Amino acid sequence: MTFSQQKRMSYYLFLAPGLLLFASIIIFPVFYSLSLSFTSFGGYGRPVFIGLENYARIIRDEVFLHSLRNNLLIVAISVFGQIPLGFLLAYLLYRRMVRHGSLYQTMIFLPITISPVVVALLWNQIFSSSGIVVAIVRKLSGQPQYVMKIFENKQWAIFPILCVLLWMHTGTYMVIFYANLQKMVPSLLEAAQIDGASESQMLGHIIFPHMVGTIATAAIFAISGSLKAFDLIYSMTGGGPAHFTEVIAIYMYINTFKYYKYGFGSAASMIIVLLAVGLILILQYITGKLEQRFE
Amino acid sequence: MNTKWLRGTILISLLLVPALLCAAGTKEHAEDATGDDVITLSVYHFLDQTDKTTAPNFQYLVDVFEKANPDIKLTFEYGYGEAFHDKLQTLAMSGQLPDIILLYPGERTSQVTNAGLVQDLRPYLAGHEDEFADMAMQGQGQNGEIWELPEDISITSIMFTNNRLLKELGLTLPKTYEELLAQGPTIRAAGLIPISIANKDAWPMQSCVAGMLVERACGVPWFDKALAGEARFDDPEFIYAMEIIKELSDKQMFSPGTNQLSYGQGLDDFVQEKAVYFIDGSWTVNNMVGELTAEQKTYMSLESFPDIPRQIGNSLSTSATAGQGFGMNAKLTDRESQAAWKWIWFYSGPEGSAIRQRFGRLPAYNLDEPKDADPMIKKLIAYAAKVPMGYVMDSVLAAEPIGTFNINLQNMMFGTKTPKQVGQELEAMVTAIGR
Repeated sequence: MTFSQQKRMSYYLFLAPGLLLFASIIIFPVFYSLSLSFTSFGGYGRPVFIGLENYARIIRDEVFLHSLRNNLLIVAISVFGQIPLGFLLAYLLYRRMVRHGSLYQTMIFLPITISPVVVALLWNQIFSSSGIVVAIVRKLSGQPQYVMKIFENKQWAIFPILCVLLWMHTGTYMVIFYANLQKMVPSLLEAAQIDGASESQMLGHIIFPHMVGTIATAAIFAISGSLKAFDLIYSMTGGGPAHFTEVIAIYMYINTFKYYKYGFGSAASMIIVLLAVGLILILQYITGKLEQRFE
Repeated sequence: MNTKWLRGTILISLLLVPALLCAAGTKEHAEDATGDDVITLSVYHFLDQTDKTTAPNFQYLVDVFEKANPDIKLTFEYGYGEAFHDKLQTLAMSGQLPDIILLYPGERTSQVTNAGLVQDLRPYLAGHEDEFADMAMQGQGQNGEIWELPEDISITSIMFTNNRLLKELGLTLPKTYEELLAQGPTIRAAGLIPISIANKDAWPMQSCVAGMLVERACGVPWFDKALAGEARFDDPEFIYAMEIIKELSDKQMFSPGTNQLSYGQGLDDFVQEKAVYFIDGSWTVNNMVGELTAEQKTYMSLESFPDIPRQIGNSLSTSATAGQGFGMNAKLTDRESQAAWKWIWFYSGPEGSAIRQRFGRLPAYNLDEPKDADPMIKKLIAYAAKVPMGYVMDSVLAAEPIGTFNINLQNMMFGTKTPKQVGQELEAMVTAIGR
C-alpha cells in the first residue's frame, strides 16, 4: 500500500464510525420511511405496495389540509414573529436602550428552559374551561356557564397556541442575535456615529447586512422547528378539539400509532420533509439575493 | 507484530459479539434464599403511577402474589394513556414483547393479538369458564381465542346522581328524557352543572353516552345487524341517537366547555358537588371510594340515563363490555407460561378479584357481594345486577372509524357537522375498512 493509499484509507477509517452512525439513525430511517410510504403496512404482515395512494388520500383529506394550514401559521409566527421580535429585543439590549439588560435577557430566555409539557400544563391551568382566567370571568360576570369560545372555533383555535409559541421561542432567537451582535467591531458603529449616522441608518446599513447570514440561519431553524412542532401542541390540546389545533406531526402520529397505518403515517412524514426542504430552499434563494445586495 | 496484534484483537472481538448479544438476551434465572430456582417475568401494565388510588391498590395485589409465590419474580414496566399503546406497538414490532402484557378485548391492542404474538389462554382456562360473567368469556380472536383474561366488567355509562342537590333544588330523579331536559334551567340557575362530563379526549362522549343512547334508540338486535352489515350507521334510528347528544349539547346540559375539559375534571366537579349528575363508567367508583366522604356516599346514587322517546332498546339500559386483562407472550417456555398463568389467574381469578372488588372494581369473576364493602361498591354491584346492557362502540368497531366518530361527535356539538353526517361518515369508514 502506497503512502497516499494509506492516507486515504485512514480518512475512511476515521470517517466510518460517524458515517455508520449517521447512516443508521438518519439515512436508513428516512429511506425506510420513504419505502413504507408506498405501502399499506399496518404493523404486522407483509407491506403491500400501493404506489402513490397514501399521498393522494392525504392531499384530499380535509383534516390534513387544516393541519397544513396550522403548520404554515406556525411557520409564519416563527419567521415573522419570533425572529423580528427576537432581533428587536437583542438590538435594544445591544444598544443599551434599556436599563438592567441582563435581567430582561434572563426573563426573555427563561421560557425556553422550561419543558414544553410544563409550559402546556401552565397555560392550560390559565386558559382551559377549568382554568383560573375562566374562573375569574365567571365570578366577575356572574355567568357560571362562561367558556372561552376561541378554543371551540375551527379557524381561531390555533391562535392561543401561536401566542404561547411566540412567548416560548422568542428568547432563543434573541440570544442568537445578541451573541452575533456582540461579535461586531464596536469601532464601526462609533465611526458611523461620529460621521452623523442616525440609529435607523446604522441599523439598515451596518447592523442588518452584518446579520443577514445569522437571520437566515435562524429562519432555517424556525421553519424546520415549526414543521415538526408536536410536543407543546400535543400536550396542550392533543390537536383537538375536533382536529382544530392539529398539525401535520400530530396527524402523522394519530394515523400511525392510533390507527396502525404505518404506510400512511410514513407518507405524512415524507410530506413534512418535502415541505421543510422546499421552504428552506426558497429561504436560501432569498438570503442569497439579499447577501448579493449588501455585498 | 503490531498488525498481528491488531488483527488478533479484532478477531477475538468479533467472536465475542454473538456471545455478548446472547448473554444480553438470556432470561434471568436466579435462586432464592432457600436455593430454589426463581423465575423472573417481565410485565407491561397500564397504570398511572401517580394515581393515589389505583397505584397503591395494584402494588398491594403484587405484594400478595409475590408473598404467595416466592419462586416467581415479576418486574414491572408501566405505561399510561396513549404512551402505553405507543410503547406496546414499538415493543411488538421490535420483537421485544414482555412476558406478560396487559391487553384489551377489542381492537385497541389488535396489533399484538392479531399478529399471533400472544398465547390463547383457553387451554389454561379450561373448566373455569362458568366462573366468569358470560360477557368476559366471549371469544376475542377470529376462532374464539381468549387472548387476555378480563379482570373487570366495564359498565361504561352510569348516571351518578347527587340526591342532596336534587332535593335542595326541589327536583326528583327524572324518569324520562324530557323531564331531564326540563331540569336544566333550574340546575343552571343555581350555578350548577346539569351533567358533568369532560370530553377533551373525545372518547368519553362515545364510550359513556353514545353507546348507551344507540342501545336505547336502536336496540341490541339492530347493532348485531349493523356489525353483520345488514343495518347501516346512517339508518334513522342511529341518527336519532346522535340527535339526542346534539340536543343535550345545544341545551347546555353538559359541563360548560366539555370539549375543553380534561378527563378527570368531570369527576372533580361531581365530587365537589358542582354538578347534579355525572356520566362516566363503573371504573370511576374505584376513585369515588377514596374521594367521597362517608356522608356524601349516603346521598350519591348510581342511576341509568332516563328513557328516551321512541325508545326501541331496553328501559334504563346501559352499555358494557368485558374489560382488559393480562395475556402472555407466545414465545414463553412451558415453565415460564405456567408461571405467567399463575399471575394471570391470581389477578383475574377468585383471589385477585376479591381484592379488587374491595377496592371498588366490578370483577369479571363471579363473586358474592362482600358484607364489609364500601357503600359505593355495594351500590355498583346492585346497579350491575339490575340493568340490561348493550354494546360499547369502541369495543366492537375498529380504531380508525371509532377515532373519527369520537372527533365527529365533537364536531357535531360545535355545529361543524350534522348528526346525519356523523352517521354517514361512520358508515363510510366501517364499510371501507370492513366490519
